[in-house]
Amino acid sequence: MNQTVNMKVRLGSLELRNPVLTASGTFAAGREYSDFIDLSTLGAVVTKGVSLHPWAGNASPRIAETASGMLNSIGLQNPGVEAFCAGDLLWLATQDVPVIVNVSGHSVEEYVAVARRLESEPTVSALEVNISCPNVDEGGMAFGTSCPAAAEVTRAVRAVTSKPLIVKLSPNVTDITEIARAVEAEGADAVSLINTLLGMAIDTRTFRPKLARAVGGLSGPAIKPVAVRMVWQVASAVQIPVVGMGGIMTADDAVEFMLAGATAVAVGTANFVDPTTTSSVAQGLEAFCRERSIQSVAELTGAVRL
Amino acid sequence: MTCADETARDRALLERVSVLSNDRVAEGVGLIVLQSPRVARSVRPGQFVHLRVAEGRDFVLRRPFSVHAAHGDRLEILYQVLGVGTRALSLSGRGDEMDVIGPLGHGWEIPDTLSHALLVCGGLGAAPMGMLATELAARGVAVSVAQGAPTAPRLVARDLFADAARRHEIATDDGSAGHHGFVTALVEPLLAGDSPDVVYVCGPEVMQRIVAAQASAAGVPCQVSLERLMGCGIGACLSCVVSTVHGQKRACVDGPVFNANEVLWESAEIPPKH
Repeated sequence: MNQTVNMKVRLGSLELRNPVLTASGTFAAGREYSDFIDLSTLGAVVTKGVSLHPWAGNASPRIAETASGMLNSIGLQNPGVEAFCAGDLLWLATQDVPVIVNVSGHSVEEYVAVARRLESEPTVSALEVNISCPNVDEGGMAFGTSCPAAAEVTRAVRAVTSKPLIVKLSPNVTDITEIARAVEAEGADAVSLINTLLGMAIDTRTFRPKLARAVGGLSGPAIKPVAVRMVWQVASAVQIPVVGMGGIMTADDAVEFMLAGATAVAVGTANFVDPTTTSSVAQGLEAFCRERSIQSVAELTGAVRL
Repeated sequence: MTCADETARDRALLERVSVLSNDRVAEGVGLIVLQSPRVARSVRPGQFVHLRVAEGRDFVLRRPFSVHAAHGDRLEILYQVLGVGTRALSLSGRGDEMDVIGPLGHGWEIPDTLSHALLVCGGLGAAPMGMLATELAARGVAVSVAQGAPTAPRLVARDLFADAARRHEIATDDGSAGHHGFVTALVEPLLAGDSPDVVYVCGPEVMQRIVAAQASAAGVPCQVSLERLMGCGIGACLSCVVSTVHGQKRACVDGPVFNANEVLWESAEIPPKH
């Protein structure tokens, strides 16, 4: 029972020491969480979305709790790529963990400009292109809900980056496998899914939406079955690795995503509930394998018995 | 005090705590006492804790609460039952365990030269004023308290304020105790009569905004403790932003206490609860 488990996984050319990542937007750049966990226990830190210029985000209230989950409409508030490189990225360079930067844009040109700026930063191990944020008026999800637009963004960013390229997909589509195939065809090294499900909640005392922007993205345990289903569908449809996420609170949840076909997983909303979740999911995943004499965590990927 | 220096900030702790007592202390208001040695010993006036009230999955987020008082290992939290989280909290009892993250946030600034402070609170705005009043009194600062509530049975912490304050004035909306009307009516006479060096305010945002204007007109510096819906509580999720003259600040780490003259006040709405 003392055998070591090989926890390494690969996303394209990026090797990770274990499959547990942070979901963009739930972990900032990790500094706040370093009070609670050792970041080197994670597969990678995926940063909050970074755009070319500073974005102010949406009006408040920006969150609303719902049954087994929450809605958010933060709106990708961020200081822009220059401030990111001069601040959070410098701090991340001192940490022993791969850094995946989430790239956001209002236009193809903006995604390209951010990717170009990050190309010369050795601290950046990979890019995650966010074509699935439901909380911005232009760009964001609009690029992730049509095959030609998703393909165009992927092609344009692929042309300017040599780093591993992950494309983050929206669940707010009729058939997510079409989008996954479209970005695979344009050179994406991996896809990550799911971003949040578009949702709404209304305060019955005031008759007003609970979010200032009326609609927002649903996350948390409430969405996990939808996410597992989509990971399974996408993993069956593409050759590139899938990063699975949506409501992971425990190692057992992570195992479920891997069985459905995920090569790696990301912890999101759970970071707000327990800031040590990422680290405990990584430990729990290793224990799960050890207890079953599974030599490599990668054996779990797609191992669902149908 | 515009924003807490990231490099100088205290390390937040995650601590497993047990409930020592949980009692109703005013109409709709409970006081829960937690055995929380590490947080209780490091918390400063105006800071808060982020409490994981229950570990079910039907509601997932933590709830932020101001620390009302800290004595040795014991942390006292005043709460009003408003939604599923505070209802669950009200049902917990001696021996129950939960976990807290804390101490969090940028609390009240207490200038070294302070000799006279005016504390203005409305409703549960009294919660973060408890530790402040006690600390100020211990430092020999003359404390005046103006406290408002809808009705006399909903006034909280009266004994604490009576002990710590040289002057304790009350207003109730229905006139069942003290001045008949809003607490804001007490502020101008106290500003003129006591000449405080600083005004500390917590309560409904519209009331904080009025008191901030009254203090400003009197030329007295004013600090406000603002409430926002919070996600992580540690500065990562950007849910609890406050618009200030220095841009968007996070209530959880840059606040909850802000200099009133920095705040760009939002439209006067009842803040949502969860």
